[in-house]
Amino acid sequence: MPGLYLHIPFCSEICPYCDFAVRKGGPDQGGLFVGALQSEIRGLRSGELLPEAPELAETVSQLVEAPFDTVYLGGGTPSFLSPDELSRLFDTLFRVFHLESGCRFYLEANPEDVEPERLKAWRRLGIDTLSLGIQSLDDERLRFLGRRHDGDEARRAVREARAEDFHTVSVDLIYGVPGQTLSAWREELAQALELGADHLSLYELEFHPRTTFGKKLERGEMQESAEETRADLFVHTHEALEQAGWDIYEVSNFARDPEFRSRHNAKYWRHVPYLGLGPSAHSYMAGWRFWNERSEPAWRRLIEDGTSPAMGWEKVPDSALDLERLMLGLRVAAGVDLERLQSTDAAAFLSQNEALLEGWRQRAWVTVEDDRYLVPSTRGMALADRLAGELEL
Amino acid sequence: MENIRNFCIIAHIDHGKSTLADRLIQHCGVVTEREFRDQLLDSMDIERERGITIKSNTITLPYTAKDGTEYQLNLIDTPGHVDFSHEVRRSLMSCEGALLLVDASQGVEAQTVANMYLALEYGLEMLPVINKIDLPSADVDRVREEIDADLGLDPFEAVLCSAKTGLGIEDLLESLVVNLPAPEGDPEAPLQVLIFDAQYDPYRGVVLLCRVKQGTLKTGEEIRFMHTEKNYTVEEIGRLSLSREPTKGLQAGQVGYIIAGVKSVRDIAIGDTVTHAKRQAPEPLPGYQPAKPVVFSSVYPMSSNDYQDLIKALEKLALNDAALTYEKSSSAALGFGFRCGFLGLLHLEVVQERLEREYGLSLLLSAPTVQYKVFLKTGETIEVDNPLLFPDPTEIEGGEEPFIKGHIWIPERYVGAVMELCRERRGQNTTFNYLALGRVELTSELPLSEVLFDFYDRLKSITQGYGSFDYEMLDYRPAKLVKVDVLVNGESVDALSQLCTEERARERAMHYCEKLAETIPKQQFKIAIQGAIGGKIIARTTITAFRKDVTAKCYGGDITRKRKLLEKQKEGKKRMKVVGSVEIPQSAFVAVLKSDAGK
Repeated sequence: MPGLYLHIPFCSEICPYCDFAVRKGGPDQGGLFVGALQSEIRGLRSGELLPEAPELAETVSQLVEAPFDTVYLGGGTPSFLSPDELSRLFDTLFRVFHLESGCRFYLEANPEDVEPERLKAWRRLGIDTLSLGIQSLDDERLRFLGRRHDGDEARRAVREARAEDFHTVSVDLIYGVPGQTLSAWREELAQALELGADHLSLYELEFHPRTTFGKKLERGEMQESAEETRADLFVHTHEALEQAGWDIYEVSNFARDPEFRSRHNAKYWRHVPYLGLGPSAHSYMAGWRFWNERSEPAWRRLIEDGTSPAMGWEKVPDSALDLERLMLGLRVAAGVDLERLQSTDAAAFLSQNEALLEGWRQRAWVTVEDDRYLVPSTRGMALADRLAGELEL
Repeated sequence: MENIRNFCIIAHIDHGKSTLADRLIQHCGVVTEREFRDQLLDSMDIERERGITIKSNTITLPYTAKDGTEYQLNLIDTPGHVDFSHEVRRSLMSCEGALLLVDASQGVEAQTVANMYLALEYGLEMLPVINKIDLPSADVDRVREEIDADLGLDPFEAVLCSAKTGLGIEDLLESLVVNLPAPEGDPEAPLQVLIFDAQYDPYRGVVLLCRVKQGTLKTGEEIRFMHTEKNYTVEEIGRLSLSREPTKGLQAGQVGYIIAGVKSVRDIAIGDTVTHAKRQAPEPLPGYQPAKPVVFSSVYPMSSNDYQDLIKALEKLALNDAALTYEKSSSAALGFGFRCGFLGLLHLEVVQERLEREYGLSLLLSAPTVQYKVFLKTGETIEVDNPLLFPDPTEIEGGEEPFIKGHIWIPERYVGAVMELCRERRGQNTTFNYLALGRVELTSELPLSEVLFDFYDRLKSITQGYGSFDYEMLDYRPAKLVKVDVLVNGESVDALSQLCTEERARERAMHYCEKLAETIPKQQFKIAIQGAIGGKIIARTTITAFRKDVTAKCYGGDITRKRKLLEKQKEGKKRMKVVGSVEIPQSAFVAVLKSDAGK
């Protein structure tokens, strides 16, 4: 069933590693933004803000009509919006979209925004999963990452969130920060496991060209850890979570129990349709992928002018969708379901890549199960992008 | 005939040869102001861009002297670079005199002297010309002293001019007709015509540039090339102004062109003597030497789809470049290509640039090699210029490499540094003698392979631009020759094999290994890169296997971007060459081979 994504671009400060469409938010921007988002939602429903390309417009209008079973508020910092603003937004969502009973609501929040009043308000709105941008438990590393909280505040936020009856409390952490040793990360990860979260998203730090860190890297003022170190950290992360009995279901995502897996994020990895709202949000349905204007003011202006905020789209050909299936499938524990490939079938694929796969099997990177699933091991997941590029379709 | 003057201009590079030629042409009224452009006689883009002359050219200039006598001046423009010394020699053979051009601030340089000796060899009369006297740094007295001391010419005969401003050009022309001799020859004698160069015209075929030494040649006559023993019929004959001007005939003493239905410059030999088929001269003119390539390299198209285009381009280029040799070759790593022979590195660069520019090809050239002599145990001697054809070491008795005699002109203070450079490059019998004004001529017998790459650049840099260099081929000398192979996971990459002397083997092997280690991406397994002579490993680097290649975050907006990266990666894989199951990107070959040429 399709999912809804709403992009809230505002942050109190921009983190030096962040590559998302974000901007520094001021006091009255939330209201203006929510108004525009409501207009976008209503405009899609009424047809006024559908993209101009007829075939795409048709696809989008079908998507808008569909029942949704996840609503994800990401950012930026969705907790930047006041409970009141969120409530107005939710009103519109419920009024316009067909939200299934049992629909899951997700909200990303920064620890400094987590306080009992707000937690209660979010619960009242129906938020099921609270995803906390903890990033690190180490004060020095938090400063390096440009975060506004310290380790104690992070722990407090998790503790208070757990005290409310969210279905899932998820914690985001970043590893592979320059200079971070394996033993330092081992220590920090052990602490993270003791926080009592239901779900962990453990991301390796990446250097994107447009970010402050990316520019420092390019100028030689900062250095990425060696591939060896990064591989060690990755493997340790997976091994530690496995030992702790966690469910490793994606390259960077871990659930205390399979029931805490992210139902929404799984849609990105399985080509399940999703509708993205707000600046820079991406949508997908039936081979169509389209995306909104990235800049918040420009996105808002388009909507105010009554034109579609979609800035680009592609009709992904079957062969390219298959490449995505390999790339995405090798990132998840379930692996690639070869029966879902469109340009070939499982048997043909397996025979075409026989020698390659045999080599990978010997290195314990992947296994083939039931003649239809290509399942990566931890070491295989560490190479998912590379392996996807090697396979022949 | 006494009113004809056949002359060339000889000079060191950048002393203003082409500018002087332009000025003489303008002064004699051959071009209008509107038609004028710089380097009139250089027609190729590459000549104009680099400011060099690659092919000879000629132009007839009408000149009326102060006493009212009308002259026909034939200026024969010659290349200056040592790679093209065959052209220089043939041009000199067509002249009776030469303007010896010296830059008023640079003074006499190595090439000036080398060219003067060449000209003297052909008995040319020399008129010294001091150019660029308008420059603030001009030092005419010092240059006069050098002309006297270094060249042994009368410094007070020297004409002062500035080709740039036109100053002194009138004096120069007067002095030229007075001091340079008229040609000699008998218009009635059996025909002897020197073919000193040829141009290819897509409509007319080969246009032969010629100097009639004896006899008279007319349109319609049947001619015979004495060395190649081929007959042709003269379709058109004439003088060269800026364009061709047909005449009825050319006679002894004159310079001009012949069109005789020759399809390609390869059908004839430049430097050959043409005579009448019916009434043949008893013997050809002396001094014929076919051009012989000294530098060899394999040329591959970057994309194997371009091989057919490369064939066509080489064929076309060869129509106008008789010195370029090429034969098909193939490499396991790089596919089909050609083994080409060049007159020198400049010639190689010029050919590569023309192929890439005029024919839109993207090329990969293997490391340039000289031609070695290899003595086999069977008593046989073979010449080897291609590493792929180097015999098994157990069959080799000994070897020899070509040596040159290098002439290096430098200010005295650089003697130590340049002696050291020559020593580094295995120079033998390095000696020096003092010239005028604190300058030194250093001569050294050097292996050609050692001057091939960056010798001149190094010389320029250690002498802060004051050093000049010229060389001639000398002889072959004993050398311990080896073939260095590059192995990737135990398999030899044939395109990277190279011939060198034993003492250079390790550093060259290490250089290749390091470059490859930098440019071959990590793969699924550890990769050993080794340099080897026969079975003996002399250098080694290792590329560790990749362990981590996955994006941490992959959500809505990341999928398209990530897929496009993968598509690019897959596209790139198609261009990879697989050696011993290791994928080597084209860029690795380029990095290794380019760095080698620039080393």
